[in-house]
Amino acid sequence: MADHPILSVDNLQVEFRTGREIVHAVNGATFSVAPRETAAILGESGSGKSVTAAAIMRLLQSPPAFVTGGSVRFKGQDVLSMPMAEWRRFCGRDIAMVFQDALTSLNPVFSVGWQIAELFRAHGVARGKDARDRAIELLGRVGIPDPALRARDYTHQFSGGMRQRVMIAMAIALSPDLLTADEPTTALDVTVQAQIMELLEDLRRESDMAMILITHDLGVVADVADTVWVMYAGRVVEHGPVSAVLSRPAHAYTLALLNSVPRARDKGRKLEPIAGSPPDLARIPDGCAFHPRCRFATNLCRVEAPPSVAIAPGRAAECHHAGKVFDV
Amino acid sequence: MSDDASASSSTLTKDAPPILEVRDLVKHFPIGSGFSLGRKAAVVKAVDGVSFNLAAGETLGLVGESGCGKSTVARTLLRLEEPTSGTALFRGEDIFAANPAALKNIRLRLQVIFQDPYASLNPRMNVAEIIAEPWVIHPEALPVSERAERVRSLLESVGLRREHAERYPHEFSGGQRQRIGIARAMALEPEVLICDEPVSALDVSVQAQVVNLLMEIQERLGIAYVFIAHDLSVVRHMSHRIAVMYLGRIVETGTEEDVYNNPRHPYTKALLSAEPSLDFSETRAKSSRIILQGEVPSPANPPSGCRFRNRCWKAQEICAGDTPVLDRNEGDHQVACYAPE
Repeated sequence: MADHPILSVDNLQVEFRTGREIVHAVNGATFSVAPRETAAILGESGSGKSVTAAAIMRLLQSPPAFVTGGSVRFKGQDVLSMPMAEWRRFCGRDIAMVFQDALTSLNPVFSVGWQIAELFRAHGVARGKDARDRAIELLGRVGIPDPALRARDYTHQFSGGMRQRVMIAMAIALSPDLLTADEPTTALDVTVQAQIMELLEDLRRESDMAMILITHDLGVVADVADTVWVMYAGRVVEHGPVSAVLSRPAHAYTLALLNSVPRARDKGRKLEPIAGSPPDLARIPDGCAFHPRCRFATNLCRVEAPPSVAIAPGRAAECHHAGKVFDV
Repeated sequence: MSDDASASSSTLTKDAPPILEVRDLVKHFPIGSGFSLGRKAAVVKAVDGVSFNLAAGETLGLVGESGCGKSTVARTLLRLEEPTSGTALFRGEDIFAANPAALKNIRLRLQVIFQDPYASLNPRMNVAEIIAEPWVIHPEALPVSERAERVRSLLESVGLRREHAERYPHEFSGGQRQRIGIARAMALEPEVLICDEPVSALDVSVQAQVVNLLMEIQERLGIAYVFIAHDLSVVRHMSHRIAVMYLGRIVETGTEEDVYNNPRHPYTKALLSAEPSLDFSETRAKSSRIILQGEVPSPANPPSGCRFRNRCWKAQEICAGDTPVLDRNEGDHQVACYAPE
């Protein structure tokens, strides 16, 4: 992974201004994705993972959302300051996105074949029958049976898993170098989830694509990702290679999260939940945002934001007690 | 008792008769406009012949993917839906044949917690009113003078504070709301609690709090649970026995150890192998993962014979014939398959 990162996000800050209060959804998130790797962004609801993705893709509606700081560089270019017209040319061709809810992300009044072909037309790659044929070929590639026939169908005629395949077909149509997948399998059953994750992984490998996988599912991360970036209260609190981070975490939150998942060997034992609930992003605690729920918390954690502690090459944790956690 | 043999071979089946005995439960939903005028209306066979027992104090995990009928089983047991046919004996009394008075008496001992902690609490009632509502319906359960105090002790027993009684649902997080739902279900001190995806809407860290709470309550009060979920690891953690459902039928049932360590139905095997594993020590061999072809067929038009056969890698001619049934001679670990592992 000595390659230059294809995407690097530095100290990204996003806030939502509602009439009454300011919600700090992302508070200095920093991460990077190397070419051809799968980077997972792991977090619970309200951790800022989806807002981060939306900010990278410039999908946030402003107001209420404002990017108040930080930078996003994609292939060396500054994404956030780029004119929208220029960014639109990147979208689809160089960077694409798959959303959680395929039903609301696809257009119900156009056939799926037409919607996929629209990408080729919009980017001036192909037109007419050529665009249609390419759309059919893509539907076949993502595992939709009878693609020529199904291309004429509308989204409501597809099952959840098949819709997600249609959306993946659209995302990979122009062979992007980076695919951002926001909870791509959360709405699906386990057996279909396994199919979709395998499809994404195959496509990524075949076309040398990098992938950002946004998820709350530790199992999915362990299964498919190369690196993991753990988010809490709008910051990346720990990152590193997946097997290293998940088998021996260095941040108290990562450790607590792992301990709260039921596993076969814990049968009959009590789970170790994390006390309390995730913080209100309009009122993030001082110091380390995790301190009110943390069993390692000391006075230091209450007053001072933790520095980034290097654990190993390519691995760091923002925790005052990283050493102690690592040795648990 | 017909299954004496299985009872003695199992460490989990209690000697006492089961508290809940469900036999051949069927629930078909008619589809279409309703103006079929003599033509045969199409039906969705949501539940199509489900039988199981629940012993006092045990947890039966009901797992399966969306559309397999697990929630319909729960809803018919509570008579929120009228079953098409079948019987469900609660302490020997048929829930489905019960008249309104008898049903009210059964519901006093058979309670439920729902999946969505947002939709299942009335936003216009405060917490005290929500938790006390069961006593409005069953005034004999607790004298009025004791109710205010009992609400507060129930709140404490589910890990909330006494002063929360005056607050409204919107002031609580998802996990706290689910605790309120549990407190309401506990108000009548039921013998059986039907938990329909009680932790699915919660974050992992909060989910563990609710799982622990449910297990604590069971230990303390000996309540039996029918625990419905699609998350296999949560079901495994909670349950003594497991029933795996596919398209309206139970395809495999046994103790938690039997089903998880030694799955015999091809669907169970595929389901378990599809679940992403966190354990790196376990061989992370993806080659052993079974990726099923296709998706669950529509319950309006299931395949003939074994309903899993169009996705099964072991399907043979016989599978298209008669529907395989759970083999009652096989003891506690039963499987409905012509070619089990």
